[in-house]
Amino acid sequence: MNPQHLNILILFIVMLIIIVGVFVYVYRTSLPRNTEGSGQSGLSNPNQKRFLFFVILAAVLVILLTATLPKTPYYYFANEEPAKVVFVVARQFSFAMSYQSGKPGTPPPNEAIELPAGKTVEFRVTSNDVNHGFAIYDTQNQLIVQTQAMPGYVNRLRWKFEQPGHYSIRCLEFCGAAHAFMESSFLVK
Amino acid sequence: MAELKHKRVLSLWILTVFLLFVASIIMGILMRLTQGNAMKMDVSGFFEIMTVHGATMIGIWFVAGMASVHYLLHRYVRVTTWINLFAMVFTVIGVVMLWCAAFIGKFHAGWTFLYPLPLFVAWKHWATPVFLSALGVLSVGWLVWSVGMLVAIFKKYTLQQAFGWQYFKKVHQVDTPPFILITVVTLIGIVACLLTALLLLGLFFSEIASGNKLVHDALLMKNLTYFFGHTVANEILYLCLATLYELLPEVSGRPKWKNSWYIALAWNATMIFILFAFFHHMYMDFVQPEAMQVIGQLASYFASLPAVAVTLFSVLAFVFKNSIRWTTTNLLFFLGTMGWIIGGVGAVIDSTISANVFLHNSLWVPAHFHTYLAMGSVLMSLAFFNWVVFDFYNQSEPEKISRLQIILLLIGGFGFLLMFYLGGAYSIPRRFNVYPSQLSIGSALALAAAAFAVVYLIAIILINIRIVKRCIKIFSSASS
Ligand code: HEM
Ligand SMILES: [Cu+2]
Repeated sequence: MNPQHLNILILFIVMLIIIVGVFVYVYRTSLPRNTEGSGQSGLSNPNQKRFLFFVILAAVLVILLTATLPKTPYYYFANEEPAKVVFVVARQFSFAMSYQSGKPGTPPPNEAIELPAGKTVEFRVTSNDVNHGFAIYDTQNQLIVQTQAMPGYVNRLRWKFEQPGHYSIRCLEFCGAAHAFMESSFLVK
Repeated sequence: MAELKHKRVLSLWILTVFLLFVASIIMGILMRLTQGNAMKMDVSGFFEIMTVHGATMIGIWFVAGMASVHYLLHRYVRVTTWINLFAMVFTVIGVVMLWCAAFIGKFHAGWTFLYPLPLFVAWKHWATPVFLSALGVLSVGWLVWSVGMLVAIFKKYTLQQAFGWQYFKKVHQVDTPPFILITVVTLIGIVACLLTALLLLGLFFSEIASGNKLVHDALLMKNLTYFFGHTVANEILYLCLATLYELLPEVSGRPKWKNSWYIALAWNATMIFILFAFFHHMYMDFVQPEAMQVIGQLASYFASLPAVAVTLFSVLAFVFKNSIRWTTTNLLFFLGTMGWIIGGVGAVIDSTISANVFLHNSLWVPAHFHTYLAMGSVLMSLAFFNWVVFDFYNQSEPEKISRLQIILLLIGGFGFLLMFYLGGAYSIPRRFNVYPSQLSIGSALALAAAAFAVVYLIAIILINIRIVKRCIKIFSSASS
């Protein structure tokens, strides 16, 4: 698991434990042996606490938003000149990749792709038939970045590969029976 | 005996839902076993099952929520049973058509039928039109049902009252029960997404009729698809929350929840946010205008604010240090709330654009929606079912759900879900019938998930035996 995936999982597990903990705790306070004789019942000042709860939650959300919104994939390496451009045409059930863009009406050109390590490259991804996905898996088989392959549109994805090696491409949008077998790869040197 | 009629129709709904639920869980287990290489299924068969499982599950828990709300509505307004029966007939026809299209016609484009896949026919030629018509039948039946309920409500409440706007003023004469407010807000969302479904189906049929000459815009079609699919799946939970607001205090022997300005505000806000959150399905379509991407994240994030600050807080404050008479009903509502919130956390993480790059169409997606459905709305609907079948004899519920059943439910349910989350974190794609050797960890997780799912199934059956017995009794006692 790469660090981003791990962070996501840890964040979720921590939240899971907190939520389950709160529910179990609240449940236990409601059992007769815990309510009898304690002299107090219910939450004191519930609306004040509700307001506090609301403010804290809103603050957390706003912080998360400001931290994450600038990191959208749409601007990855936007200020750099790509060293290579790869044209990708997805179709049931394979990817055609080339340094040349194809001509309409002819089969898309397909060639083995080699990309320079440490330099920005750009993928221009489209589809010839249905919607497909274009997900790049690193040498450890972890998903590092993706975009969709949609008929009639070209999605531009920029990336910089630091590690040399074989990267795989998988289709992540269900496109029919052989969807799970739709893959390709390229080399980073 | 209008009361009795309502109950008979409802018990028929419950029996139908339960039967289809067990069948669909078994399909789910078969899918996990196939992904775990413990059994073999041909490729088309797997995706037929996936299509049917998805459509049936969404369908039955949607109608379960609708039937529950319909039933409780008659406490406040006059609703006829005929729209309920009408919806039932349409639902049964729709489901039968759907199953035929998939299992006989081999249609397997997924329940979200993302354009243009259904038109790339890899199955019997009649299967695509039959599948799309099945969705049309369901949409029409449910649209009539929703509009019928809205009309019944608006006969008694003015527009302002139905939305609870009088609570924003200093003084108000008329009270709107929270149940009515939530039902209105939810039904309006449902009407919007069913109309979109019909529009979408119309666009599909126009293309079929023109001999595939009329080609639609794939991005527009995708936006419409998810406006429908995402919204309908979300509204299921809100239907359940309407019943929770109505019943949780009542079954716990406490005064009814009163409406207030913050409840009204929260639900009005929810109505708006829920209509814009679906944009998060297009995050990886980089050509989608960026404003929509940002709106998607904002709406997804802020949709959680009213939900958590109002509903979650109310449920917790209601139980905290209050002596509650725990019954099966309120315990299931309480656990359902927990499942909903946990699924919500998974959803908010996924709706973060920069995290969605890793999670989009990975198993994280079924992970979060199964959490709020299988451990959220399903439990809340079961809570309602349980309440209503015992309410029939006006007797208090018999012994509460056993500790063993709860433990099986929680271990089975959350164990099954955890395997999906781990799959997502390990970059395992969703909707793969088998996992490539580089992703073999996906198969191991799938096997474990299948085992947990069997435990979940056992718990569901144990919890439901009493309910089903009662339903059969109610149904036959009235007809004799
Ligand atoms: C223990 C019970 C269940 C099991 C074992 C199960 C299993 C599965 C599996 C294996 C998938 C395919 C995952 C993939 O993409 O690889 C799936 C998809 C799905 N399930 Fe379930 N599920 C269960 C309960 C539910 C419930 C309660 C609901 C809804 C109320 C539901 C709704 C769906 C939907 C909508 C899909 C998406 C289908 C698609 O991708 O087209 N499931 N389920
Ligand atoms: Cu695919």
